[in-house]
Amino acid sequence: MKGAGVDSSQARITADRVGKWFGEVIAVNNCTLAVGTGVVGLLGANGAGKSTLFKMLAGLIEPSHGTVHVFGRRLRQDVGWYRRVGFCPESDALPDWMTGREFLALMLRLMGYDKAETNRRVGFWLERFELTDAAGRRLGGYSKGMRQKIKLAQAMAHDPDVIFLDEPLNGMDPVSRKQSIDLVRELGQQGRTVLVSSHILPEVESMTSEIILIDRGRVLAEGSVAEIRDKIPEHPTTVALVSPSPRVLAGFLIGREHVVGVQVDQENRVVVSTDHAVAFYRALPGWLLGNGLIVDEIVTLDDSLEAVFQYLTER
Amino acid sequence: MKAAAEAAPAIDGDVRPEGSLKAVGWLAWFSIREMARRRRLVALVLMNLVPVLVVAAIRIWFPGAGITPHMVLSALTHEVFMPFLIPIVAMSVGVPAIGEQVEDGTIVFTWTRPVRRRAIYLGRLLAAQLVSALVLSLSLVLCFLIMASEGPQVLTWEFIRLYLQSFAIIGLGAFAYAALFAAIGTHFRKPVVPAIVFWFGWENLVSNIPARVQELSLRFHLQNLVERPETSPADLPGLLSALLSTAFQREPVPRLQSVSVLLAVTLATTLLGMWLLRNKEISR
Repeated sequence: MKGAGVDSSQARITADRVGKWFGEVIAVNNCTLAVGTGVVGLLGANGAGKSTLFKMLAGLIEPSHGTVHVFGRRLRQDVGWYRRVGFCPESDALPDWMTGREFLALMLRLMGYDKAETNRRVGFWLERFELTDAAGRRLGGYSKGMRQKIKLAQAMAHDPDVIFLDEPLNGMDPVSRKQSIDLVRELGQQGRTVLVSSHILPEVESMTSEIILIDRGRVLAEGSVAEIRDKIPEHPTTVALVSPSPRVLAGFLIGREHVVGVQVDQENRVVVSTDHAVAFYRALPGWLLGNGLIVDEIVTLDDSLEAVFQYLTER
Repeated sequence: MKAAAEAAPAIDGDVRPEGSLKAVGWLAWFSIREMARRRRLVALVLMNLVPVLVVAAIRIWFPGAGITPHMVLSALTHEVFMPFLIPIVAMSVGVPAIGEQVEDGTIVFTWTRPVRRRAIYLGRLLAAQLVSALVLSLSLVLCFLIMASEGPQVLTWEFIRLYLQSFAIIGLGAFAYAALFAAIGTHFRKPVVPAIVFWFGWENLVSNIPARVQELSLRFHLQNLVERPETSPADLPGLLSALLSTAFQREPVPRLQSVSVLLAVTLATTLLGMWLLRNKEISR
């Protein structure tokens, strides 16, 4: 099953009432989630607890309570399952004394590949991330963007089925950013599970519409942005309709089912607030056709990830 | 960029951990190369040239002064290598061997491989032990070459035996201290202070306490394995040495006991370090 919030029996990554305390501070509180295939964004502001949750999911830290499973296994115990898992940390730390080629080679050797296969994969992934020319240079001399790429390469070089990417686009130039986003989407389309943690909403939005939203250590919502948006009744969805006769259209829409507010804005667009966007969209064509009304363009103003994030976190 | 699908498929169904010996070997090899490229190692090698310079100075300025190579080697091993060089080298290489990777976060790259944490620990520790032993051995080899340059008459069976014995004991000491310091480095966030306290405080203090308390130090057992330097009470250094040995009387224990203690400390601290790493969590 694809995305976040899937049936836990079908999920590749699951967390059940998981929490983490650091002394008196609670970093993650009673989080339950299930992630299937495809790309899923783990979203939250800085300090929301997503890095801690991420590290627990990847088996790098032990939960204070609750359980975490990947492929139904606890990675900290069943380390062999790391053959099917890739992890790209947020931290910029790399073994700076190694060259890019040596680093990737060691990572693949520890996966059990022989020399020929290691060399083949190292060559492939260096080329894929356009690092071939820098392969013989020490990592300490790499730019931030190159360091990010080599971290991504080591997470993907063994073709894992589940990939954890913690703030993967940090420090990348726009071209590399675009290429990496395309790569992540491609991996998701291949049926791999890619869990991407980020606090930059457009970054996540460009990769996926499936998200897990975390704030103050709690999972606030999981699923597609549209599904989550519909579950926020206190903030009706706002839709702008561009029409040659905006005032006639506005008058018609007042009082219709699921329409909770209508106004004409400065650009002469009819701005409609609806408490059920899906039902509104379903009904709209019938209303227009039945009453001879014309709408040239429909723009949803606040079902973006940013709006959902703002509404749920009240920021 | 190329399509991801061009890469070979994953190893289907194989989710066994990587063979521990193979993983230890790879990690040790890469760790030795890492340690060899550190500036710290150059400083350690230079420090280990001190005994070489002492031997060279004796060879150049005091030829035929009755100071035999046997005496020099015995004194150096007993009073320079054991109390100073072995702990300093083992501390400088052993403390950061694992702890530094945990602290700076680079350990995540090995933690997210199908390798058991005990193998990761052993690989790094083995590298630290071998590097420590090699740095110390280099100094000992150079000392030997300078001493041997006096002529074939120096190469008596007694001298060669003492040399080989010193070689083995210094290796044993390097392994024991490195294992202990690696465990300290794994446990503490700022491990240098406890490591120095152990070396400067515990080892110095306890190894000089008369009676059996001194057996609680590693230095005591290392020094117990080496012949005491020959001194003549007639000259000033000899008199001082005699006074010191009377003041800080060392009761010898059977050599087997000392070897057993050193091996037991190496094993126990290695197991402790492996346990500490298994329960360690990444903070960065």
